[in-house]
Amino acid sequence: MTTAPQESARESAQESALDPDAAQAAIEHCYEQGWSDGLPLVPATRPLVDRFLATVERAPDEIIGHLPQLDRSVTVELAAINAAMAGCLPAYFPVVLAAWEALSRERVTGGGGWQSTSGPSPLIVVNGPIRKELGFNCAGGVFGPGFRPNMTVARAIGLIVRNAYGIHPHELEQATQGLPGRWQICLGENEEESPWTPLAEENGVTGNAVTTTLLRTCEYVDNRHTQSAEQLLGDFADTIGRSGSWIFTHAGAGVVFCPEHAQLLAGAGYSRDDVRQWLWEHSGRTTAQLAAAGKDDDRRVRGPGGVRAPEEFQRTLPSPDPKNLLIAVAGARNAGISMVVRFFADWSGTSVAIPDPKDA
Amino acid sequence: MPNAILDPTGRVKEETGKPSLEGLAPRRTDLKGARIGLLDNTKHNALLFLQEVGRLLVDEEGAAEVSIVETKRSFSVPVDEEIVNRYKGSCDVVVTGVGDCGSCSAAAVADGINFERAGLPAAVVLTDAFLVTGRTMATMQGAPDYEWVVTQHPMAILEEDQVKARAKQLLPEIVAMLTGSTGGGR
Repeated sequence: MTTAPQESARESAQESALDPDAAQAAIEHCYEQGWSDGLPLVPATRPLVDRFLATVERAPDEIIGHLPQLDRSVTVELAAINAAMAGCLPAYFPVVLAAWEALSRERVTGGGGWQSTSGPSPLIVVNGPIRKELGFNCAGGVFGPGFRPNMTVARAIGLIVRNAYGIHPHELEQATQGLPGRWQICLGENEEESPWTPLAEENGVTGNAVTTTLLRTCEYVDNRHTQSAEQLLGDFADTIGRSGSWIFTHAGAGVVFCPEHAQLLAGAGYSRDDVRQWLWEHSGRTTAQLAAAGKDDDRRVRGPGGVRAPEEFQRTLPSPDPKNLLIAVAGARNAGISMVVRFFADWSGTSVAIPDPKDA
Repeated sequence: MPNAILDPTGRVKEETGKPSLEGLAPRRTDLKGARIGLLDNTKHNALLFLQEVGRLLVDEEGAAEVSIVETKRSFSVPVDEEIVNRYKGSCDVVVTGVGDCGSCSAAAVADGINFERAGLPAAVVLTDAFLVTGRTMATMQGAPDYEWVVTQHPMAILEEDQVKARAKQLLPEIVAMLTGSTGGGR
């Protein structure tokens, strides 16, 4: 089909107002400064960053993060510059700041977490009407690319760590391999198809909110041929209990349930707490199984020991407390595929409210 | 004039104030009669290694005793003035490590530099997998040429007798670092 002549004339007039050569030069300049995570950055200018700052009632020089070992700080202004460079729209900035605040509540982000050999990734979950207003993906492909808010909010956090803290791979950042999807795991909870209260509301924050922790693994459970809640939960317990990423006495985890799994469990009468109780009881390995991997001794870090009874069941989760097992719902309702995530360390078990944009 | 591109690091003004390390703490000629301080960074096998180094320094180098042993509360954060002063009041030289992870290796280098600034000779032990992160931290701390003792990676998987053998093997280098006798120090 051919385009109408007047339409194509209008398009070329718009295109000629853009200067792609200048844009390319500016992007290359950003690479040369060492600011990029490997993908092109949006060159941030004063007028653009001012539009970000205008969405929040925060002083630009307010310090919102400090790492004592590097004596470097993050300010609201630096967060705005990095969010702009990540490709966020100004309206996303309140979400970025809330995600950063939620991450600041994680013990390890004030210590060595960003430098760790584990190469952990933030998991960022967004709740509330803002998901729809800004276009956060909550459904199909929620752990992958394709949606600007999901990708750029997560990327903004990575750029803040890289640039404001100066934690670069191979230098102060020592990830042995790093988690796939690092700096891009940001999902809207599928509240519309979840049988349970929203995650943030469970933590006492209603409406627009962000919940986040650091992850050491993502591994999904594909189980779409049973109606039994206990068979399904058993499959999750097996994945949560495996020894692979488990190096301390206990380990916290989370499950991002797809709507189909969540609805099956809720239909069988399981609340979030019931799911946690079941998974706490059934997730783990026997001492003999752990011994086969050289991880049966849990005195400080898991190593060989040979002091506990071979048939003793060692539970993965320390207790059924909500902060040891994050439960969210996201994804499409087209199959029984849910993501098990493991915490890098501990989770604060809290959510942070997103203030309404001042000037969106 | 087009708009300038803003700097996302905010570091131009911040990092000019770090004083450079002018030199290491004064060295003794040997360790006879010296009180040894050990600082464990919590990493697997670190305390065992340090205690064996301490024992060897007393038995073979004539050190008086191991007079202070502490375990860091946060392996990723360098020692502060309070801890440095405690060591300064209790020992003559410090051995610390083992840098065997991302943040703890960088922090161990900063620990050594902090002890040197306070006039306390220190030997920092890192595995050879963390040379770049150690150097990055040394540069940030104003001591780009700061040296430490390097041991083979990995350390955490070693059995007790292997850890002790490692201590024995590194002893001459640690002594040299603490006394400045044979190319230790800078």
